[in-house]
Amino acid sequence: MDTVDASVHYSQAIDEKPSLLVLILDTNPYAWSTLSATLPLERALASILIFLNAHLAFSHANRVAVIASHTKSARFLYPTTTTTTTTTAAAAASGSEDPLRDANKYRQFRIIEDQVQASFAELMNQTTAGELVDAKETMMAGALGLALGYVNRLVRVDDGGVLGAGAAGEVTSMNARILVISVSGDLAEQYVPVMNSIFAAQRKKIPIDICKVAGETVFLQQASDTTRGIYMQLEHPENLLQYLMMCFIPDTATRRHLVPPTQINVDFRAACFCHKNVVDIGFVCSICLSIFCTPPEGAICTTCNTKLDISALGNFGGNPAVVLTKKKKTKKLKQSKATSFSNEASATSTPGTPAS
Amino acid sequence: MSGNIRGFGYLESLPPVTFRRLYQQPATALAIFRRMLPNLAKTIVTTLLYNETPVALGDLEALVRPESYRLACYAFSKLRRLHIITENNLDVSLDPVFKKNFRLALTGGHVWLLSGGDNRGDHHSFGVPCNTEDKKKITVQFLDDYATRQFEAILHYMVGTHNEVKPSKGVITLLTKGGLMERHGAGSVATITKNGFSFLLQDGNPQIWALLIQYLEMSEELGMEQTDVLHFLLMLGSLELGQAYSVNTLTETQKLMLADLRDYGVVYQRKSSSDRFYPTRLATTLTSESGGLRSASASMSSAMVKDAEEGKGFIILETNYRVYAYTDSPLQIAVLNLFVKLSTRYPNLVSGRISRRSIQEAIKMGITADQVIDYLSAHAHPQMRKSLVTLPPTVVDQIRLWQIEGERMRTTTGFLFKDFHSTQEFEEVAKYAEELGVLKWKKPARRCMFVTRHEQIADWLKRRASAQQQQLKKAAA
Amino acid sequence: MADSDEDYIATDDEEIGAHNVGKSGRHRPAGGVAAAGGGSGARSKNGNKPGGGAQKRERWEDIKRSWDNVVEGEDGSLSSTVAGLLEAGKRKRLLKDTTPLQRGIIRHLILILDLSSAMMEKDFRPTRYLLSLRYACDFIREYFEQNPISQLGVLGMRDGLAVRVSDLSGNPMDHIEAIGKLRLDEGKGAPSLQNALEMSRAALFHAPSHGTREVVIVFGALLSSDPGDIHQTINRLVEDKIRVSVVGLSAQVAVCRELCKRTNAGDESVYGVALDDKHFRELLIDTTIPPVTRSAKMSASSLLMMGFPSRTVEKTASLCACHSELTKGGYLCSRCSTKVCALPMECPACGLTLILSTHLARSYHHLFPLKNWVEVPWKAASKSTHCYSCQIPFPHPPTKPEELSAPAKTATGTSVSSRYACTVCHNHFCIDCDVFCHETLYNCPACQSSVPKGKVSNGAGGRGDPMEVD
Repeated sequence: MDTVDASVHYSQAIDEKPSLLVLILDTNPYAWSTLSATLPLERALASILIFLNAHLAFSHANRVAVIASHTKSARFLYPTTTTTTTTTAAAAASGSEDPLRDANKYRQFRIIEDQVQASFAELMNQTTAGELVDAKETMMAGALGLALGYVNRLVRVDDGGVLGAGAAGEVTSMNARILVISVSGDLAEQYVPVMNSIFAAQRKKIPIDICKVAGETVFLQQASDTTRGIYMQLEHPENLLQYLMMCFIPDTATRRHLVPPTQINVDFRAACFCHKNVVDIGFVCSICLSIFCTPPEGAICTTCNTKLDISALGNFGGNPAVVLTKKKKTKKLKQSKATSFSNEASATSTPGTPAS
Repeated sequence: MSGNIRGFGYLESLPPVTFRRLYQQPATALAIFRRMLPNLAKTIVTTLLYNETPVALGDLEALVRPESYRLACYAFSKLRRLHIITENNLDVSLDPVFKKNFRLALTGGHVWLLSGGDNRGDHHSFGVPCNTEDKKKITVQFLDDYATRQFEAILHYMVGTHNEVKPSKGVITLLTKGGLMERHGAGSVATITKNGFSFLLQDGNPQIWALLIQYLEMSEELGMEQTDVLHFLLMLGSLELGQAYSVNTLTETQKLMLADLRDYGVVYQRKSSSDRFYPTRLATTLTSESGGLRSASASMSSAMVKDAEEGKGFIILETNYRVYAYTDSPLQIAVLNLFVKLSTRYPNLVSGRISRRSIQEAIKMGITADQVIDYLSAHAHPQMRKSLVTLPPTVVDQIRLWQIEGERMRTTTGFLFKDFHSTQEFEEVAKYAEELGVLKWKKPARRCMFVTRHEQIADWLKRRASAQQQQLKKAAA
Repeated sequence: MADSDEDYIATDDEEIGAHNVGKSGRHRPAGGVAAAGGGSGARSKNGNKPGGGAQKRERWEDIKRSWDNVVEGEDGSLSSTVAGLLEAGKRKRLLKDTTPLQRGIIRHLILILDLSSAMMEKDFRPTRYLLSLRYACDFIREYFEQNPISQLGVLGMRDGLAVRVSDLSGNPMDHIEAIGKLRLDEGKGAPSLQNALEMSRAALFHAPSHGTREVVIVFGALLSSDPGDIHQTINRLVEDKIRVSVVGLSAQVAVCRELCKRTNAGDESVYGVALDDKHFRELLIDTTIPPVTRSAKMSASSLLMMGFPSRTVEKTASLCACHSELTKGGYLCSRCSTKVCALPMECPACGLTLILSTHLARSYHHLFPLKNWVEVPWKAASKSTHCYSCQIPFPHPPTKPEELSAPAKTATGTSVSSRYACTVCHNHFCIDCDVFCHETLYNCPACQSSVPKGKVSNGAGGRGDPMEVD
């Protein structure tokens, strides 16, 4: 009997790698204040701390990092480098270094909790009211960048400078994932950096989970979709802890055995650069890939100032053109394969250029 | 394969009452959660943890993909055997004691975090640190050296190499009682047994546990409270290295244990009358899983724990059966000597080759081919790990073949199921057993089969029987 | 026989190469003498100089031995030197030109694989043939990763003929499948550069003017068996604005050099000869980076119409228009609502280019490259103790004043204080984060983490100015 147990346990233990969780907390005070009725920030933080502890409880070797994505800055809450100030602050915050308290709490949990709370308090103290005027944005791009940099160091096994080795099946010492607890919406200004972060995560096979407490962001939805993370819009924000403990706790290896939370339609429509309209058919500059909802004025790209040749577009979106009989054949071809198959020779003679 | 040595899994066979008592300490609840459950089971526990109402078993099973059915079964059976979940009809909930104390472990007893009426815990289960400074500073380095010295002394004693530190009498009794060593006649020198060899080939963490489980059994005979002993052992795993802990809050049993654990190198105490003790690295890694050891403590310097670290392997095995081991530790050389014909020794390197004879000699001593292979791959040099397969497949196969040469018959311990009522019943059970991967042999004509373990099947039969009865009742009504 | 063989240098190279293989009995060892086989093995930086030719000192004339670089450390071990070399290697990889240049994002590329008997050589393991097929698959994946809205086709050279492997299309799986079928064959006959180039010229004839036209050749042989004058073909390629880059597997061949030089406006750096399999892969993967637009005339800019479909999940499965398979989810064409199962794709019904907006975003980093970070001297090092991004601690500044005033850049190109600073936000990073940010992330985490004083609104913090035409 016993021998069987031991062997089963042994074989089981092999394939469980430790995992790293980087939690990005959107701390935009403006957004949280609108949530204060259902889920005050303090309560959310408490839930998050329990969640972190639960993650650490999974394995001795599990690691966490917490990053705050604030209105004007993104920074690490844990681990922090300014240890001297935070530990004293932690002692002050928790009352005193009461030995009884130590005995009631697993040390690893306590250290992380104290540090997160202390640096969080510090962050909030440094935020002045003046900064918060029309501060609806959050530094998500920076936070993602920090998170990826941190994951990159912890996870990577130095390949001795072999660049191509990654393709042959990367050896990593840990599974890593990023969890974003997001409360604010619009990130339009950070579009390019956020997208770059998403692709970096995808290449490194790091899933980005999104726990959307409030607000709407298309980008984060795309982030979780591209990196095969979990996207969840909370219907009852007050039950944050329950959501966290149910859906976001399994690591990447365990997830392979679980049915993912229901997939949703992902909005992949793009916002045009000219009027910020959301479009499903748009015009793209071939030089800088800017998206326009209508051909720009004077056929000059507003981003890269290139004179664009819009004749190749044909007449899509415009009025039906009168087709000249002379070049009937080429036109038919072009009408059907408008964008990609128009050679130089016939492009110039295409009628029906939309009025600009 | 761990042979006949009981490892940590032995705890699973404890009676339910013991578990209930174990779960009364948050530290123990945490340790069992961390060390004994597969990840999937852990996920199930966290899912249930903050659910006040029981959840239907079917709903939980629906979370798992159909392909991973076997894993889910394994997770549930583990939870059942550890009495973490309780089942009422088809609803599942966490054991209330476990739930309360595991929550306490996670929250540390902050009232403001919980909606329920749990009180601030006052359990001290994570050890009470000494608040006064020690007169002599004890460094982590010192503790590591101490642990290495003590534990290696035991291993050296087993292989019979000469070492300046001799293990204490208690340790020797433990080894003989555990069947790792045996004594022929009263005054003679103890020699190592087959089990002892398998023990030597294990990693550091299972070795320590094997000793401690043995200790646990022995302590019962000495009249010590078993749960007390276990509480203490599991608590040790949550302590911090280099921190002094107070003896005062320990129970009498636990104070007695300190003396023994000191001999194993698990804790350090300057004098037996001292009011403080230091857990060593052997203690603090007790409840970490073997896989986690390597990255968890990159700075680990204790020798036998070091072996478990991936980066610190020292053996190079070539396809021509030559073995190069970068080591000067007499212990490792002695272990290698069990199955390698060593030929040359340099200050930091020994070399030799694996041959048919050396392997067969090892097999004669009771070492299995799998143990040899496991040992080699666990201690493979980082250079070897760079390739996809750590060990050369030819050598691995050949080692296995050499073992098979002497084996015409293979024994499997297990259970015979027979006397099924109908062929249909037999087929159903056989199918279930096959899905679980425990079925070894079946003979439909005689309606009997042989399985390696029976609890899950018994469980399943019981549940099926009760379901059938309910159906019958319904039908009757 | 091709013109290349009457070239003295080429035959000389060949001899040395053969000798080398025979002597060592292994496949080409890296560095040292092996570079002889490579001629101008690595893409030389000074490749722009016109007509260097025979006067130029060839790379193999300066023999470099790896052991020359290694110096024993104070403790008698090599570990410190090795660590330093590693860091220098990382840094070297990194220091690219980061002037933002206009690049041809929409590419039309023909990959020509040598399928001749020369590919059966075993100097690359398992054979040149199989290795080049494997890397070709990697190349295709990477190409579509980097250039999601581009087209690709594959040709082969075998028995003096050009063989069509797959047509110009935007679906990576088609090409990979087609190449997979080649695996069962083996190299045969002599290659014909002229035939292959003519065929690719024909294939690229219809490529629209806003995209680039490119040919990448993997060339294992040292000869080309052509039906006519290859120089005329080269002239026609130049006329058609087709750029050719070549990855050689054995030795430098004069006609390839000329081919690259002529079609790339005198830039020879696109011709590389692989030293070993790693280098081969690097050379091939390098060509996935969109090429720089050299002159405004090179490619006409135009406006393209594209659809951005959203993903839908249906309750019941239905057939997709592209593969006629039953799927439950997919993307509906924005114009005609035809269901396709993968993007990017051209709508099978109405021909609209369907693309994910994320695909467009994937190319943005080519247009706004992250500037190189600079080495930090000890004097400025005291302001940081940890890497901004990964929190790894930095070494402390030395106490001696003479060490403090050491130049920021060490002889190997690494930073003396192990710190690298972003030129925009002046935060310090470690070498690993430097590599990561420039090769994977393409952002500066610090610039993105704080609002600069001048409040940059376009999210281009840490980036260069808008691109310019070279």
